Amino acid sequence: MNRLTVSQRLWRLCCSLKLAIVLASAATLFAIGGSLTIHFHPRIYGNLDTTPLAQWLLAASRDHAGEIWWLWVTGVLFLLFGLNTLCCFVDWLIHINLRWRKLGEYLIHLGFVLFVGAFFWGSLAGTRTDGVRLFVGALTPVPGNPGTYLRLDHFEPVMSDNGRPLDMINQLTLLRGESVLAETVAKINHPLIYKDLVVTVMSFGQSAKGFQVLIPNLGMVELVPGQHLRLPGGGRLEVLEFLPDAVRHRNQWTARSERLVDPVFRLRLTRPGLEPWEGWYPLREEIPFPLIQAGVRIWPKQPLFANYSLVRANRDPGAGVALAGGICLLIGSLIALGSFYRKRSRGDRPEIV
Amino acid sequence: MLAHQPVILNIIFACYLAALPCYLLHFFRHKRGWRVLAVSAMLTGFALQSALLAARWLEAGYLPVTNLFSTQYFFSWALVLTYLYFDVRYRVGSSGLFVVVINLLLLGSVLQRDPEIPILIPSLDTPLFTIHIICSFTGYAMFAMAFTLGVIYLINRYIPNKRLPDPVVLRKLNEEAIFLGFILFSICMIAGCIWAYIAWGFYFSWEIKSLWSFIVWLFYAGMCHAKFIRRWQGTGYAWLSLLGFGVVLFTYLGIGLLLESSHPLE
Repeated sequence: MNRLTVSQRLWRLCCSLKLAIVLASAATLFAIGGSLTIHFHPRIYGNLDTTPLAQWLLAASRDHAGEIWWLWVTGVLFLLFGLNTLCCFVDWLIHINLRWRKLGEYLIHLGFVLFVGAFFWGSLAGTRTDGVRLFVGALTPVPGNPGTYLRLDHFEPVMSDNGRPLDMINQLTLLRGESVLAETVAKINHPLIYKDLVVTVMSFGQSAKGFQVLIPNLGMVELVPGQHLRLPGGGRLEVLEFLPDAVRHRNQWTARSERLVDPVFRLRLTRPGLEPWEGWYPLREEIPFPLIQAGVRIWPKQPLFANYSLVRANRDPGAGVALAGGICLLIGSLIALGSFYRKRSRGDRPEIV
Repeated sequence: MLAHQPVILNIIFACYLAALPCYLLHFFRHKRGWRVLAVSAMLTGFALQSALLAARWLEAGYLPVTNLFSTQYFFSWALVLTYLYFDVRYRVGSSGLFVVVINLLLLGSVLQRDPEIPILIPSLDTPLFTIHIICSFTGYAMFAMAFTLGVIYLINRYIPNKRLPDPVVLRKLNEEAIFLGFILFSICMIAGCIWAYIAWGFYFSWEIKSLWSFIVWLFYAGMCHAKFIRRWQGTGYAWLSLLGFGVVLFTYLGIGLLLESSHPLE
């Protein structure tokens, strides 16, 4: 009887069905236990879906190492299980002339390996960003994708008769510099997909963008960031910033919330022959003295709101590989189904270990 | 047809209920007439249930499986379909009766519920939902069948009875149920992953229902391998079928009813 070399024995172990069952069982048990801790510790695991796994694990390990250790163990077990499945698949490929009738089963193996590989790749190299606000006509940088921008060309919420939101129609354009990379009408279940980037619609809302004000000699005007007003006498009033709810800290105003509570404008006044003035104008307080000096009176009339669409922009370099894995799994399942009944009708029995 | 749903539901329930004693009488007396009656009652109930399901589907414009009533109704339909497959093909008869009992419990518990079809929420408006649901529940039904066959196998093992089918036959049928369930559940998972990707931007979620669905898939993938190991054949496999169905029940009912998830049942 031929004795096996060390490398042959090692290869047999790597391809071993019993090792696969041990690894899968251990991973399953850890996943069962861990899943219950996920449910009962929402403060720890609440953002697990909104952050790539590797990034989340590193951050959570600093504060909650005692609670999340099972995730490390499960991850390692799955990695080993994936490698074991890969070895099993390679071993089948080596002996394909003898085992070709197991094509369906081994396509399922390949699908699983691709899926596990894709998941680890995406967890390590992907990015996830929730709650990206897109305003109509504005360019918004895509987080995690330097140089690329999203432009919302048109937005239309679809409401039911009783005012319940049904869908959100987002005419989206993805740009790199001036060149258009992708255009689509994104809505629920219809994302914008470009290579490894997927932009899904989440929600929509309104935010205060400025105020409609009455200025003597100018009439009703809209004060919104970017607005330039020509004043009588050759002066110019520029709106630099608008904060719907701000708090004062050492003569500086910082944003407190997005609700319309304590609105503040940052303005710049330029007059011929005089030093320009730049400062804050809290609407609940008196108008700043330099504006009074310049003869500018402002009476706020009503807030102005802008609709925005809230999207999620995720980048997952493994998504394509995962899809390939899914296709292998699907084709493998169908072939395995056909061959199962064929083998049954021919009375074939499986090899027993 | 939809106007008479409560009446039709009661008739379907009565058909399945009538089949139960007929199967039992066939088991104890071995007279062909009882079996013919039992199968006829099951087929009549199934035909009515299928017709009502089709009518509800046509009326709604989508597969109505979005609340507790409709999921239990569909699960019940899938269970009967599975049972009839095994009974017509392999004459499992009373060996699969536990599936009929589960079906009666499922259907009986929804008789008092409102059968009105809920409005489809936009995120469910995709063909992936239909594939996901059909494969998920038919997969669950196969696992329930495997559970039944496992129970009968164990009864036969510890309290041998000549009326029960041969253990080798039971083992083969159990393996078939597990294999079919695994294939169907794999398709369900693939559709679910693609759907999750286009709806949420990621194909695997750490949300408890998704995680447990993956656990179910992994468990039955393990079972598909365990049949190649001598030690796990027969009795071990039967025990695994029981354990697996426990995992399935927790995934379907436990999480849906007791915990908050992305797949609520109410």
